[in-house]
Amino acid sequence: MLRVERLSVQFAETKSPALRGVDLTLQNEKMVVVGANGSGKTTLLRAILGFVRAQSGRVSVFGEEVPSIRGMAGVTTNLPEVYRLISLPVRDLVALYARIKGAAETELLERLHEFELDETLGRKSYQLSTGQQKMLGNLFSVCFAPKLVLLDEPFDNVDFTRRRRFVRLLRELPAEILLNTHELDLLPQFIGWRLAFMFDGQLFGPFGVEDLDRLYLSRGRVPGAVSVLETSLGEFSITLDGGDRPIKSATSMSSLVEALA
Amino acid sequence: MNVLKWYAKAMLTNRSIWSWGVGFMLFWLVIGAFVESQGQDLSGSGTVVYTASWFVVIVLFSLSMFAVAVANSLTYGSAALSYSFRFSNLTPRSFFGSVVGGSALVGTVLSFVMLGSTVAVFGAKFDTRFTPANLPALVGTSVGAGVFYMACSMTLMLVVINYLGLKSASFAGFLPLLLSYTFGLGQIYVQLPAWLVYGSPYNDIASLLYQGFTGHPAAIQLAGSGAEVLAWPYLAAGLVVWTLLLSTSAAWLLGRVRVRQIEEGRQI
Repeated sequence: MLRVERLSVQFAETKSPALRGVDLTLQNEKMVVVGANGSGKTTLLRAILGFVRAQSGRVSVFGEEVPSIRGMAGVTTNLPEVYRLISLPVRDLVALYARIKGAAETELLERLHEFELDETLGRKSYQLSTGQQKMLGNLFSVCFAPKLVLLDEPFDNVDFTRRRRFVRLLRELPAEILLNTHELDLLPQFIGWRLAFMFDGQLFGPFGVEDLDRLYLSRGRVPGAVSVLETSLGEFSITLDGGDRPIKSATSMSSLVEALA
Repeated sequence: MNVLKWYAKAMLTNRSIWSWGVGFMLFWLVIGAFVESQGQDLSGSGTVVYTASWFVVIVLFSLSMFAVAVANSLTYGSAALSYSFRFSNLTPRSFFGSVVGGSALVGTVLSFVMLGSTVAVFGAKFDTRFTPANLPALVGTSVGAGVFYMACSMTLMLVVINYLGLKSASFAGFLPLLLSYTFGLGQIYVQLPAWLVYGSPYNDIASLLYQGFTGHPAAIQLAGSGAEVLAWPYLAAGLVVWTLLLSTSAAWLLGRVRVRQIEEGRQI
C-alpha cells in the first residue's frame, strides 16, 4: 500500500515547486499518471523512493515512512540509476540484484529471453541501446516478486512488439503499480486501472481509465467540476459528460490547457 | 548478505585500475631504474635501499589510483545505494563489509604486482636478484593499505555526495593521490618530523612495506644517511587507527547516502 499525503518538493535551483501538495493512495490497485514532460511525474516517483527531500508532507509504503525504510524488497522501479550499484555485465547484474532482492534469478533470465534480450547479457548497461536499457529496467522491476512497482515512462524508446508484450505482463502482474506516462493515447490499454493527471506539480484525480471518454476540460471554475486545475494560465475544470474539450482528444494535458487558454 | 564476489570482480576487471594503477606505474619503475638511478651513489646496500624506496612509493601511487576508481564508482552509484538499502536486503554494513573484502584483495594484488615488477625491472638494471625479506609482513601491510585507501576515498567521496555536492567530486577523488605523492616522495627526499611520519598513514604504509622488503626498519628519510629509524609497532598502530577511524566514518556516511544526479558533477 502506498500513501502520499500533502507532498511538496521544491528544488533549490528552481522558482516553482516540482510537487505541490500531492495526495495519492494506492491499495491493491494499479494507476496510470498522465502528464507532460516536466509536470512532476518522475519527481513523484523519486520522492516515493526517498531520492528527493520533501519540503512538507509524508510518504509511506506498506505502513512504513519512506526515509526510515530498510529491507523492503517488494518495492521495485524501472529507474535506470538504481541498477548501477556496481559496474558489471547484465548477466552479473541479474545475479547481483536477485541476490539482494532475495529471489531466484531464473525468472528474470526467462523474461529477458521472452523479450529477446539475451544478447544484452554479456554487455554492460551503457553498451545497450536506449530502448534496451529501458526494457532492462522494466523487466528488473517486474521480476523478484514485487508488491509495489513504480514505473517511469516504461514505453519510451521501446518498440511496438515489446510494448504490447510488456502491457500484457503489467496487466497480469499481481502487484500494485504506479505508472507514469506522457502518452494519453496509451490509456485504452489500461482499462480497469485508475487514472490521474499531473499538471504543474499537482495531481488531479483519481478517475477510472474507462471514464476517459466522459472527461472534459473547460476554462474557468465550473460548478460541479470533479477537479479544478490552478495554473499560470488560469483555472480549468475537469468535468464529466460535457465541457469545452474532451480530454481524450489531446496528446497531453498541457497542450489542451494551452489550446483552451 | 554480501556482494563481495561481484565487487571483487568489478575491481579486478576495472580497466582504469589496470591501466593507471599498474601500466602507468610500470612506466615510473622503468624511469626509476634506468633514468633516475644515473649519477646516484648506490654502493654497498645502496641498490637495495634505492630499489625498496621506489617499491614503496610505487605501491602508494598504485593504490591511490585504486582509490580514485572507488571514489568515481560512488558518484555513479548514489541512487543504487540508497535504493538498495531501502528496497532490498542489502544493508550499509554488509555492503561496506564487501567493499572492505574486495579492497583487501585488490590492495594485495596491486602490491604484489608492483613487488614482482620492481624486482624484475630493478633486478635487470642492477643485475641483482632482489628477494623480499618478510613476505607475511608485506601481505599484512598490503591488506591494511588496500582497506585504508578504500576507507579514505569512500569517506571523502561520501562527504561530497551527502553534504558538498558533486562539483567537489574531482578534488575529493584525487585527494588521496595528491597526499600519496606528497608524503611518499616527502619521506624519500625530506627529513620529516618523526611525529608526522608516524601520524601519516601514507608513511606508515611506506615504512612497513620498506621493512618487509629489506628486512630492516625504514629511516625517517629514506634517501638520507644516518637518519633516525622507525619502530614498526608504532607504524602498524598508526595505520590501524587511521583505517578504523575512516572505516567507521565511511560506514556511518554510507547509511545516510544522499542521491545525486551525476550531471551535477559536470564542470563545464
